[in-house]
Amino acid sequence: MKSKPTFGLLFFFLLGLLPFVAALIYALLYSLGIVGILSEGASISYWRQVFQSGELIGSFLYSALLAGIGVALSVSLALLVSMGLRTSLQHRFWSLLIYFPLAIPGMVASFLSIQLLSKAGFFSRISMKMGWIDSLQQFPDWINDSYGIGIILTFVLIVSPFFVILFSNVYQNERVSELSTLAYSLGARSNQVFWKVTLPILFSKTKRIMILYFIFLLGSYEIPLVLGQESPQMLSVLIIRELKQFDLKLIPEGYVIAVAYTVVIAVSALLVFRRREVQVHE
Amino acid sequence: MSNIKRLALFFLGLGILFPFAYLAFLSFSGAWFFPEVLPGYFGLKNWKEILSTESDMGFSFFSSLGISLLVATLGTGTGFIWSKSIAYHAQKESWLVLAYFPYMLSPVVLAACLNFFFLKSGLSGTWQGVVLGQYLVAFPYSVIFFQAFWNHRTRQFEQLVLTLGGSSNQAFVQVLLPLAKGMILVCFFQTFLISWFEYGLTALIGVGKVQTLTVKVFLYIKEANFYYGAIACCLLVWPPVILLYLNKRFVYNRLV
Amino acid sequence: MVKTLVIKLCVFFLFVIWGCSNQSSIQQTDISDWSSIDSLSRNTTVHFMMWQGSPAVNKYINSYLIPEVKKRFNIDLQISGGQGPEIVQLLMGEKQADVRSGQVDMVWINGETFFQLRQIDGLWGPFADQLPNARYIDFDDPYIGIDFQQPINGMEAPWGNTQFALVYDSIKLPNPPRTLDELSQFVKNSPGTFTISNDFSGMSMLKSMLAELGGSPTSLNGPFEEQKYQTLSTQLWDWINSHNPYFWKKGETFPREHTKMDQMFASGELLISYGFNEGGIEDKVIQGLFPTSTRGYAWKNGTVHNSNYLGITYNSPNRTGALQVINFMLSPEAQLVKMDVNGMNSNTVLEIDRLPEEWREKFEQATQRQYGPTMKSLAPYSIQEPAPEYMLRLFEDFRKNVIEK
Repeated sequence: MKSKPTFGLLFFFLLGLLPFVAALIYALLYSLGIVGILSEGASISYWRQVFQSGELIGSFLYSALLAGIGVALSVSLALLVSMGLRTSLQHRFWSLLIYFPLAIPGMVASFLSIQLLSKAGFFSRISMKMGWIDSLQQFPDWINDSYGIGIILTFVLIVSPFFVILFSNVYQNERVSELSTLAYSLGARSNQVFWKVTLPILFSKTKRIMILYFIFLLGSYEIPLVLGQESPQMLSVLIIRELKQFDLKLIPEGYVIAVAYTVVIAVSALLVFRRREVQVHE
Repeated sequence: MSNIKRLALFFLGLGILFPFAYLAFLSFSGAWFFPEVLPGYFGLKNWKEILSTESDMGFSFFSSLGISLLVATLGTGTGFIWSKSIAYHAQKESWLVLAYFPYMLSPVVLAACLNFFFLKSGLSGTWQGVVLGQYLVAFPYSVIFFQAFWNHRTRQFEQLVLTLGGSSNQAFVQVLLPLAKGMILVCFFQTFLISWFEYGLTALIGVGKVQTLTVKVFLYIKEANFYYGAIACCLLVWPPVILLYLNKRFVYNRLV
Repeated sequence: MVKTLVIKLCVFFLFVIWGCSNQSSIQQTDISDWSSIDSLSRNTTVHFMMWQGSPAVNKYINSYLIPEVKKRFNIDLQISGGQGPEIVQLLMGEKQADVRSGQVDMVWINGETFFQLRQIDGLWGPFADQLPNARYIDFDDPYIGIDFQQPINGMEAPWGNTQFALVYDSIKLPNPPRTLDELSQFVKNSPGTFTISNDFSGMSMLKSMLAELGGSPTSLNGPFEEQKYQTLSTQLWDWINSHNPYFWKKGETFPREHTKMDQMFASGELLISYGFNEGGIEDKVIQGLFPTSTRGYAWKNGTVHNSNYLGITYNSPNRTGALQVINFMLSPEAQLVKMDVNGMNSNTVLEIDRLPEEWREKFEQATQRQYGPTMKSLAPYSIQEPAPEYMLRLFEDFRKNVIEK
């Protein structure tokens, strides 16, 4: 059984990593005009063009902001629900029901958001009926809006149910209730128990998954495609727009953005995790 | 229970069930113009239209189910085993960060970049290719997911079995698996859903030939007729929910 | 335990790769000898990639075309989903990967995709004018034989004929705008109810506006002229930017696709929508999406009139099968069923005068549309599809001068 870990890591490398590396190399070659059937020879002009336009930076900041807010709101909401209603959620009925929202994918969620939240949507009609608004133009702008409100709301709708389940699971797995009882018996108040015991345990066990979901949202495609604006656009929307554009000669620009984005995320992830590793080894 | 909690629970339940009910309601509606709160038509017309024009819906459903079950089983199984190798490795964090890499390109973009290799290998347009493509997304997810499982305590349990003379296989089957049951369930469900809902990658690698249910009805969600869109949403959303309901005893066993 | 699993997996992947590497070689095809094509095409499978977003279209394909070609030629017609960009992406990828035996035999495309596929030599041909049923088609008709100002030269066969039309609700809006001046008045009176989608349809609307600024329905005909484009487009962006505050969302953003506009028209957020297939009105009213008072019309200076086509891919493994299917799709019986107002409701590309007597009568007696405009009523207001460069530049400059402003 000694050889197991290396063997496993090899497998992981082959299936988890190799395709990614292959995809990245292909994208890099394409962005430099080295491959591609319409390529006119190697050139860095596509890179220059993308960086001169400034759209990439804008899109990156916009995506990071929306993804960050999305994760933060989802985690807070999930904490509130999973800890606030913890005893109730252990009931058979609720323990099943909280799984249901996981069955709603991004595309369906954005479809729902439009049907419910747009100016002619269900909620707008109800507001009209109730006499809160006189015309549909008065209903707040939530879909394809300038602040990405529709996108963020839908992110929360998609992500928070998962965290509710995760937190409940980790709470049990890490026997937080026993630790809490211990803390209570040592004279801690419930506020203290939550902030000093429960929260740190939950966060330390799930921080990786939070980062994963941040990356998910950063690269999410369907939700911002349907609910976003034409400018700025989130990264995947921008990349696919460039890859599928009418002018086939400019397709390499899409690969430039894909490569640039991946490298930035990869490097920052490496830096974040490196620092953590040092702390772990102390 | 306090009143606030009861109210919160009520809204939680409403919030969870409302989307499913609304989608179903919309799919039976028609002639629903602003500012009407209720539709002008309610009946089976939309469903009849879609089900009569879309032949082979049953076949699509079962091929989707097969592909998703396969991807979920492979993804969760291999992910569970190899997440352990990584969790107990000295350079754990470095390995883990590598597991995030496939997600740094979102699946649609990853598919666009990988398409060349799938075409070259002849895997495009086959169900095997689709399974492989979806597995490439599900596997790292599962590896990262199970990092939350491997902790000091599970290690101690495993050590205990070994100390008491059990084999590592025994430790795995009789101790680790039962311990991980709840998380395996969640991961299986999540990887199943990753596969079930996967559109961009499946459409690209399957070249529209591997007609999973998602590929078949997805287009309707984007088209102008949102009543048909609602039908497509129902067809996508209800099967996993029913699957979940049928397997409810697994869920109960975990939390109760 | 781990090892056996790995071995099983390896076997699985080997099986996977082995299972799909059997590629057949491409046969030589001589269209002039139709009887050999006819016999070679029997008992084969044809893969057809097409847009599948409309139940009316899917119904025509699934319950008419597929059973018919099975019955007549024993051809197994398999549909794969995919429209313009996906087809281009697939064929570019296959070229790149040097795939000899392609995934798809035939494709349904419009002028936009034809232009792209021509750039990458993605189509096989010429074949269209040599099909037996080509005798019913008038390739000299500029709306059929010329696609985006370029002769099709037999590289694609026309399948349907369509004109761009604007859509409105005759109760809410009795006198819809037909010129830029009228539109200007309209958006000021009803702000937030008009927009331009950032896709093929929106660009076609912009072409109509550009042609009007050019002064006549033919002002954009002929090869692309930079000078003309610069002058006209500057006026167009000025016009749009001065009216932007009255557009949907105050012109701060624009819908990505015209389907989104249709949705907003259906729910009442927009008062005007537009699109090809004469606005796509008939089936949407019948489906209960649009109100029965919905009507369509053309811009006074004209809207784009064009055809959509069927092409055979450069690496199609079954050319003869594709030829057989396409020829059947151009037959009077297939085109007549396709015209059914309760079905796909698509205009025929056949020249009625050239048809045999019995078919001519059937075409002339076909039921008329109840809601949507007929091709005949729009015909005086049609303009040719301008050169593709106009589209390229409009896309680029609409983003630069309007969206990102």
